[in-house]
Amino acid sequence: MNAAITVRNPGLLSLIVDLGRTGFGAVGVPSSSALDRYACQALYSLLDCANSPVLEVMGPRFALQFDADVVCAIAGARVKAFLDDTPLRPWASFQAKKGSLLRIKEIKEGFRYYIGFAGRIEVEAVMGSYTTNLECRFGGFNGAPLKSGDILHLNESLEIETNVIPLNMIPPMNSPHILRVLEGPETDSFTADSCRHFWEKGYHELFTVSTNLNRTGIRLEGTPLVFRPEAPKSIVSEGIVSGTVQIPGDGLPIIQLHERTIGGYARVAVIARVDQDRLAHLKAGDLVCFERITMAEGERLWMEKKKIITHLQSLTDSTHG
Amino acid sequence: MIIQRYAENALRIIFGSQIDMEVHEKVRRAFFLLISIQRHDIIEIIPSFCSCLVIYEEDLTSYDTLSNLLKERLADLSAVEMPLPQVHEIPVHYGGDNGPDLSFVAKHCRLEVPEVIERHCAEIYTVFTVGFTPGFPYLGTLDESIAAPRLETPRTRIPAGSVGIAQRQTGIYPFESPAGWRIIGRTDVRLFDPARAPYSMMQIGDKVRFIEER
Repeated sequence: MNAAITVRNPGLLSLIVDLGRTGFGAVGVPSSSALDRYACQALYSLLDCANSPVLEVMGPRFALQFDADVVCAIAGARVKAFLDDTPLRPWASFQAKKGSLLRIKEIKEGFRYYIGFAGRIEVEAVMGSYTTNLECRFGGFNGAPLKSGDILHLNESLEIETNVIPLNMIPPMNSPHILRVLEGPETDSFTADSCRHFWEKGYHELFTVSTNLNRTGIRLEGTPLVFRPEAPKSIVSEGIVSGTVQIPGDGLPIIQLHERTIGGYARVAVIARVDQDRLAHLKAGDLVCFERITMAEGERLWMEKKKIITHLQSLTDSTHG
Repeated sequence: MIIQRYAENALRIIFGSQIDMEVHEKVRRAFFLLISIQRHDIIEIIPSFCSCLVIYEEDLTSYDTLSNLLKERLADLSAVEMPLPQVHEIPVHYGGDNGPDLSFVAKHCRLEVPEVIERHCAEIYTVFTVGFTPGFPYLGTLDESIAAPRLETPRTRIPAGSVGIAQRQTGIYPFESPAGWRIIGRTDVRLFDPARAPYSMMQIGDKVRFIEER
């Protein structure tokens, strides 16, 4: 009998994700990756696996019951989590005994958190990935969010040592979010003054995250950007990368996440890769401001972050020889 | 052809700035050439109306190396081997609940409803790009006399198979999804199947004809 885990409460939304679906962009298939890829990689490190399906959860009150002894780990948003009555450390793996109940009571910092297990959740890869394309209902758990009573089967329950990610490797996730950006392909569609307010230190305009946010994109509220009089308000639809900041006719930014391959609005900026994981933690009412960096800085910061990710992966290697 | 940096690991190869067949043909040739060279450092190629977006693995290459290579390889697009465009005939139930905006389009264009249908079916369309949602074909070019603006407020949900028009384009929504185009009909044809390769019924360069289903 394989290990099984029963979802007792899915919180606001819980989905099976991984590091994303690649190679099918030409037929419009987006990556649908975990939004906080760093947290996802932390889970992989804690669970000694690579690109496995894990849970991405939004909102408190998530609960699941272990029907076998399983090593489990949590990363991402800082949560008040309990295994039965025992409080759990953040960004750590722990041994759950058969019959025990994992409950998330409160989110203290950030928005989305990730839960994984030692042993692969039995779901089929669709187009090379386990992640859920929620809009089109494929991948993950039959394309659907998890609901109470759903049972996740593990192909095996691995006995591995539990571990902890050091506190200094856990990034900040609270508002205000300062997001570094690169200039976008249509930066010139906007007045110099409005670009200055958008991304220059000392002129910063604060935006507020609206309630219009989901896995596809995040709509911001604030002072609208101003198009140059001669600039078109939409572009001939073109391929976009995750983290592209698009400006529709009303001038208010939309940050595209990992669910679209093509866009038709002016792209004022692109969130630097180093800050893209932070997008998982923007929630309604949070404050956001942008800070322009050069492509060279973007590259350098990303290389630094990759070193941290490599370090993350090596943290637990030693314990398993 | 211009190559422009887009992100730390992405670049755009730009062949023009407007929707026309000449630019489309260059994009299509470049796309199939890029596929044929099978480079491991290229992760994703997204062709659209005027450009190809290339996402690459920065551990295996750099922007300078890759853009120089692309400039060289894409300099001559005359001898690219490409698949023959497929022609898809799509039966459509026009109007009524299937096409809630058909009467608006007729009124907007000062035509009778059957004339709109007739003109929509008269053209052989080209798939300029596939995207928005998986398998969604952006089709051109729509007869100017039945062009209509996008909805000011997009619908949050329309059924799979809905056929829409927006300016000089028409398209088919493969999935239940949000939609900003004017919906004039619906087809029962399944455009995308994630369980079976090649997944998408259509790819760039294919041709489409709509047939009125009565």
